[in-house]
Amino acid sequence: MAAIRFQSTEATKAAATTEEYDVVIVGGGIAGSALACALASTKASGTLKVALIEAFDLSNHIKFSPRPDQYSNRVSSLTPKSVAFLKKIGVWSELDQSRVAACEGMQVWDGVSGARITFDAANVDGVQSSFLHQVFSGNIPTPPGVNNNTGQETLDSSNKEGSPLAWMTENLHVQYGLQKQIVGHQARGIKLDVFEKTKVQGITTGQGESAQLPQGDWPVVQLDNGKTLVTRLLVGADGVNSPVRSFAKIESLGWDYSQFGLVATLQIDPSTSTAPGQGKGIAWQRFLPTGPVAMLPLNNGYASLVWSTTPKIAQDLKKLPARDFCALVDAAFSASPAELEYLYKNIGPDGQPLVDFQKEIEWRTSVRDTEASQTMARGSSPQGDDKPPRVVDVQENTRAPFPLRMRNSSSYVEDRVVLVGDAAHTVHPLAGQGLNQGLADVECLARVIETSLLSGSDIGNIHSLTPYSSERFLPNLAMLGTVDKLSKLYNTDFGPVVWARSLGLTAVDKMGPIKNEIMRFAMGLEEPSNRS
Amino acid sequence: MSARIFTRTNPSALKQCLTRTSALARSTRAAAPSASLFTFRSPLEAPTGKLYEGHIPISPLQRAILAVGSAFTALANPLRGDMVAALGETTSGIFLNRIRDQMLQDPEGRRILRERPIITSETMQLDTLRQLPDGTFGREYVRFLDDQQVSPDTREPVHFVDSEELAYVMQRYRETHDFYHTLTGLPVTVDGEIALKWFEMAQTGLPMTMLSSFFGPLRLSSEERERLFNVYVPWALENGSTSKLLMNVRWEEWMEKPVEDVQRELGVRPCPQV
Repeated sequence: MAAIRFQSTEATKAAATTEEYDVVIVGGGIAGSALACALASTKASGTLKVALIEAFDLSNHIKFSPRPDQYSNRVSSLTPKSVAFLKKIGVWSELDQSRVAACEGMQVWDGVSGARITFDAANVDGVQSSFLHQVFSGNIPTPPGVNNNTGQETLDSSNKEGSPLAWMTENLHVQYGLQKQIVGHQARGIKLDVFEKTKVQGITTGQGESAQLPQGDWPVVQLDNGKTLVTRLLVGADGVNSPVRSFAKIESLGWDYSQFGLVATLQIDPSTSTAPGQGKGIAWQRFLPTGPVAMLPLNNGYASLVWSTTPKIAQDLKKLPARDFCALVDAAFSASPAELEYLYKNIGPDGQPLVDFQKEIEWRTSVRDTEASQTMARGSSPQGDDKPPRVVDVQENTRAPFPLRMRNSSSYVEDRVVLVGDAAHTVHPLAGQGLNQGLADVECLARVIETSLLSGSDIGNIHSLTPYSSERFLPNLAMLGTVDKLSKLYNTDFGPVVWARSLGLTAVDKMGPIKNEIMRFAMGLEEPSNRS
Repeated sequence: MSARIFTRTNPSALKQCLTRTSALARSTRAAAPSASLFTFRSPLEAPTGKLYEGHIPISPLQRAILAVGSAFTALANPLRGDMVAALGETTSGIFLNRIRDQMLQDPEGRRILRERPIITSETMQLDTLRQLPDGTFGREYVRFLDDQQVSPDTREPVHFVDSEELAYVMQRYRETHDFYHTLTGLPVTVDGEIALKWFEMAQTGLPMTMLSSFFGPLRLSSEERERLFNVYVPWALENGSTSKLLMNVRWEEWMEKPVEDVQRELGVRPCPQV
């Protein structure tokens, strides 16, 4: 009988015993769980004894059975590279494709000047390499015997068929796929122990007489159920305030943005969009001086909202009645910043609007439409720029603000400790890269561990871990830096800056090869021959 | 481009000049290439059609020529109202946006933008105002009009603003100019007008006010200049920056109040009488 081992604090047998593991992953979020799956699904790593520790309930994820008209508000965009990885570890096939929306295009524009750039997945050239990616990650030779080909083939074939820019799906959905895989691996006999509903009480290095033993310098993890785990390699996948990172005495550098991100699930009316195909599969992002507002496509007339704005406005938005919130979201994509300022100011302390939002917004929209119809601006279509779909409703209890920050750890590796995902780095959500960077970290780490095993090294030794750091540190830093500069560039309405950035954006919009390059960099596409 | 071309008795010369250059532009339009990398719009083509009564669409090139020409003419002869108007309209493009945005932040300003009230001798009912008691804002306003022998109808209409709403904002700005005189007590002499331009500059930041503020004094005598900079300008800067934005004031509703009350409520001290 296959033993499914979910150990929780309810286990009465848990005594003060020390168990030895090869890898202990602290944090059962998407990054941690994906690493567990990746290790379990590879030949050599599958022989390792792995523990996954998570403070919340993980077994619940398998019961994920949402209604078709409801979407969770935590939605992520997955790049083709991330999807290729999820396919490789068998998670993608577990997902319900009706709850995965393909993003075929993106329209990004400046809220002050109106300068716009459009990205279309159909224009991405899947064959040539992404030059930027080559620059940042370099040529990484992989030793023979490591099975990389499946991943690369899937990537190439999906591009030749015309891959979308990204896929949108709920984080809970991905977790469902991951947990199902984990259960599957355990059933096959892989030594993967999941400690759910368990907190880490402390992490120490071996002391006293145990320091003389071969495992003397191994990290020792004390759980709150009384168990103690000693491990060859400790993986910190425990989020932005990572205790593993503190244990390893790795500094986290960065800053907090004076912005909060507000997420929400919206119901939209696709027939009101002027984009081709009623805007199906198109992501919309407008840069306001207070921060970018983005609408990401989901299926069946739903969309996910991510609105980065000041903390006060984010709290007010949460309290507004649904009807006024929807009108304000529509206005966020079309009205001038001054008009929005007036509306923000007129939200009362309890969230009730102090003026009639609908009437005010309608008046300004009619003035704008009259002016637009009379202007014969050269180069734009007779109807003007494409408009996003109108927001019909917002799903109850999905409006949630969270603080935005940028963090990068001074190092991703220490002796016997490695950081992945948010524990290593945090980024502004405006480019939808955070989760993808985490999955790229996990994919790389799994490969590095596999390589060390096959060459007979100690997987926890810092020299075995350095290839992971070399491969991931610079690309992550580059992404963090770029997104940060973009966020700062668009955070102002100072005339000369607006003029310069609008000129730049309009210029890049006309330059196909450069746009192609940007899309490929964001999609994480690499040249196959890099990996031979 | 000398002032000779633009004489008050021949305003159609301006129009003729403009139609000649726009005809040139139209002939080149067919040969013009599609939108290039770095231009938002062609300098030879007017960006819109006729948007409102009195609108004369001009291309960016015509606009630049008109701005320079009207600046020199207005400096030479500040009583040329049409040139001062043209200068204002050609240079205030971005800043009219700012005034309109400031009006959008204020409930009374929004009401003005929505209802677009016009100030003419009919809408102001000047005869009724003459019946008001002395010391009320309306009575003093009409007294000022009668003394100067002007009426609200002599203002130059807006020609060169390429947006209906912004054209209204410009028109409202001009029409309310006489109220500013009544409110502040500044005389309609050259230095009084310049002082009022400094006041407006502190309020709105319009480039035309800046041009008049900095170049206007060149035409004054040294005595007048001294009075301007010692007395009027400090008063103008202080009051202009602290008073309520006068573009948001629905003057039509303040006619029956005493002048002192109006001044107090708007945060303006009367200017020192020299």
